[in-house]
Amino acid sequence: QDSLSVVGSWSGLPLHKNYEAPFWTTSLPDASGGTLEVVLTTHDQMGISGGDVFRMMSQGVFDIGMTAADYAVSDSAALEGLDVPLVASDADEAKAALDAARPMMNDIFETVFNAHVIGTAPYPAQIVFCNAPITGLADLKGLKVRASGRMTANVLEGLNAEAVTMAFGEVPGALQRGVIDCAVTGAGSGYGSGWWEVSTHLLPLALGGWDPVVAAIRMDRWNAMNPDMQQTLTTAFVEQIEVPAWAEAQANIPTEIACLTGGDECPLGDTRNMTLVEVTPADEELVKDLLITKILPEWSERAGGDWGQRWNDTVGVATGVSFVAN
Amino acid sequence: MQSLVQTLARINGYIALIAGIMLLIAVIAILADVAMRAFGHPLGGTDELSGYVMAIATAWGASYALTERAHVRIELIRNKLVPAGRAWIDLLSLSALSITAIVIGWRGWGVLASTLTNDARANTALATPLAWPQTLWFMGWLWFAISAIILLASVMVFMVKRDWSAVDEAAGFKGEL
Amino acid sequence: MILFTTTGLFTLLLASIPVGIIMILLSIALDTFFSPFPLMRGLGQVVWSSSNSGTLIAIPFFVLLGEILVRSGVANRTYNALNSWLSWLPGGLIHANIATSTLFSATSGSSVATAATVATVATPQGDRLGYDPRLFTGAIAAGGTLGIMIPPSINLIVYGFLTETSIPRLFLAGLLPGVLLALLFMAIVIALCVWKPSLGGQRPNYTWEQRLRGLPDLLPVLGLFTTIIVTIYAGIATPTESAALGVVFALIIAALNQTVTFSMLNSALRGTVKTTSMIMLVVIGAYVLNFALTALGISRQLQQLLEGLGLGAYGTLLVIVLIYIVLGFFIETLSLMVATIPIVVPIIESLGFDKIWFGILMIVLIEMALITPPVGLNLYVVQSVRKRGKMSDVIAGALPFVLIMLVMVGLLILIPGLALWLPDTL
Ligand code: NA
Ligand code: NA
Repeated sequence: QDSLSVVGSWSGLPLHKNYEAPFWTTSLPDASGGTLEVVLTTHDQMGISGGDVFRMMSQGVFDIGMTAADYAVSDSAALEGLDVPLVASDADEAKAALDAARPMMNDIFETVFNAHVIGTAPYPAQIVFCNAPITGLADLKGLKVRASGRMTANVLEGLNAEAVTMAFGEVPGALQRGVIDCAVTGAGSGYGSGWWEVSTHLLPLALGGWDPVVAAIRMDRWNAMNPDMQQTLTTAFVEQIEVPAWAEAQANIPTEIACLTGGDECPLGDTRNMTLVEVTPADEELVKDLLITKILPEWSERAGGDWGQRWNDTVGVATGVSFVAN
Repeated sequence: MQSLVQTLARINGYIALIAGIMLLIAVIAILADVAMRAFGHPLGGTDELSGYVMAIATAWGASYALTERAHVRIELIRNKLVPAGRAWIDLLSLSALSITAIVIGWRGWGVLASTLTNDARANTALATPLAWPQTLWFMGWLWFAISAIILLASVMVFMVKRDWSAVDEAAGFKGEL
Repeated sequence: MILFTTTGLFTLLLASIPVGIIMILLSIALDTFFSPFPLMRGLGQVVWSSSNSGTLIAIPFFVLLGEILVRSGVANRTYNALNSWLSWLPGGLIHANIATSTLFSATSGSSVATAATVATVATPQGDRLGYDPRLFTGAIAAGGTLGIMIPPSINLIVYGFLTETSIPRLFLAGLLPGVLLALLFMAIVIALCVWKPSLGGQRPNYTWEQRLRGLPDLLPVLGLFTTIIVTIYAGIATPTESAALGVVFALIIAALNQTVTFSMLNSALRGTVKTTSMIMLVVIGAYVLNFALTALGISRQLQQLLEGLGLGAYGTLLVIVLIYIVLGFFIETLSLMVATIPIVVPIIESLGFDKIWFGILMIVLIEMALITPPVGLNLYVVQSVRKRGKMSDVIAGALPFVLIMLVMVGLLILIPGLALWLPDTL
């Protein structure tokens, strides 16, 4: 009898409820033929910050951690390259970019967190809710935008917007009272948290990135597993979380946006009537220019080493973006 | 020994004053940010820096609260005992606190050590090297552990001398809140 | 493990070990005896992350504001002004105790500080005019508890921080129930003093001229409250920023009263750091304990235990209320809140109750815990300020107000709008 302790992503998100919870507590123990017992919790239930998950995992506090790679960039600037905002325009592209980055990811997790990457899963794309009339990305200029993460803040800087940090729970009130003009979150959680009540325009660009979740296991724990078990874990994770969750993310985006912007049907409840801001070629041009001239060069400077070049050779090729690395 | 306890209390008083001034500076920085925002030129980053101030002030203030005998304790049984009994309770309580303080200091070093190894930076636009605030924070908890040990050693000496009132003075309850 | 945790908790509490330390010690013990993983390797990270918060810095700001205000001489004038308007009521001075508590609650984030402030100005007067010490001191202890219900409130900041609910909305939600509680407190004082006039004392007479002349003395406190609240709701400031603004406003009041000196600032700042660290050690301790309990699956067991009772939404709610009442007798309030929120609030949410509303309901229960023996912080505060008579006087005097709080719990459950109407409307 073997026992694994797993810390999953946010307990309230569909990713945890629909995929992580059944996988870790039922499917995996079954697939192991009853030789594996799993204790599952999440970082929010434990009251630890998302940025502490991989750190604590590497210290041996638990075996497996699942959290957004973006939360862990404190400990590794190179990790920011996994989720560059606006580089992918849909979930399939985001997945392709992430797959291309997989060798980089593996190296980072091995050296920084002494961990082996099991697989990935998507958070929803982090799109823009504004309580201000905007017609495109360029209109964010001069607006106060609630966003988290260093690279997103850099993008906002590049757009001459102001990045504001505040607790998630404060966002609706702050939007309503004009403390902020815009805020970034997934379409589904914006719907669920009533952001449509306090904002008027929806810009479906992943300004906050795709926030991919990485599942990683401490290296000594991984090495102690017999190869059959390693195989079972990897295959089962990919089959039961990675593939279906990414597919669902891609399928959900149009539905959730329709829910927010007065579409005909909405499985989440009543449709809301936010104004959908169409993404234009001008927006895409602006994004590309910003990434190539500012965001990516600054990042490769921060990350040091040959990370910039490795990015160009992998993610860059997959997404058709390339820049002059340091 | 009594003078050692008093010296410790005095030092912690100055530390608290410095921490208090740091809070006052945070007040000014935050208001400057509010004012500049009104003119459309926010300073930004005050939220992040306030967090560091809070963590550092808490850590250093813990030893002041200790020497001021201000940490929340329940008096229920203690105040029904004779002075010697109270002294034993205070010794027990202070020992428990000292052990915990040492563990916090030790584990705090673990945080700073990881930060140094990874050259960790805040996940914000400022990208503050976390080693700065965490060094000040860690030193605060370290001083808490040192203060607790000094106090514990003094109390043990008072116990040997059966000087119950000195124990009460160093580690008992303070009358007013 | 549940048995180990609860027994350990009570034993250590009775041994007079600081509450924050107890929770960390328990976590270390749980880790050592029950955990297959070295949980406490994460301790430092938990301590750092739970205190590194731009939201929680509002706590020292509100404490500092109160420290400055107490030393500015405002409390005495406020008390006298309110007394001139209320002393004709049956119960006389006792109404000034409650009204001053209410007004100071509107600037103070803490119940203990509110009770201490009012006790300092009121007790000499009560003794002089021959009031029954029981009802007189009980009213101060109970009135002081309003400090965490009427905004601003340190406890609501912590609740909002832990449950990811909006702190401005929580503040608004506390306003009506807070005022209603104050009115109910006054009503029961009138009822008691009509029934048994000996509970009151001499009622000083005031002319209308005296009353009107006292009105400007209410301005500093009202102005401070308005500054804090209006800046939040006008969208000018976050709660942290409005607290910073309040500090400056309090300094101005003190300067106008010519009470700002170096030694005054020195003791206000030291007092702030002391109180902040005292509060934060409890918050950090509760964080660490929650971390250990969740990692070991005890939190989930407790949740399943509650859900497994099969009592339905209101049945479960009543059980939770009862648990808080019982625990409230024995456990210090902030730690009670911080340690239970991660377990209880998810259940409350899954039962379909509103998080903001439950925050207010919990505050009433916490207020009750502050004035129920054997562990009731406000009882101790009032007793230690008056430095005479018996503790049992304060306990007896607080009893009628405990009953009122029970009524308030019922009202909130029957009419959730009491808490939710303001935040939903504004
Ligand atoms: Na208050
Ligand atoms: Na109590």
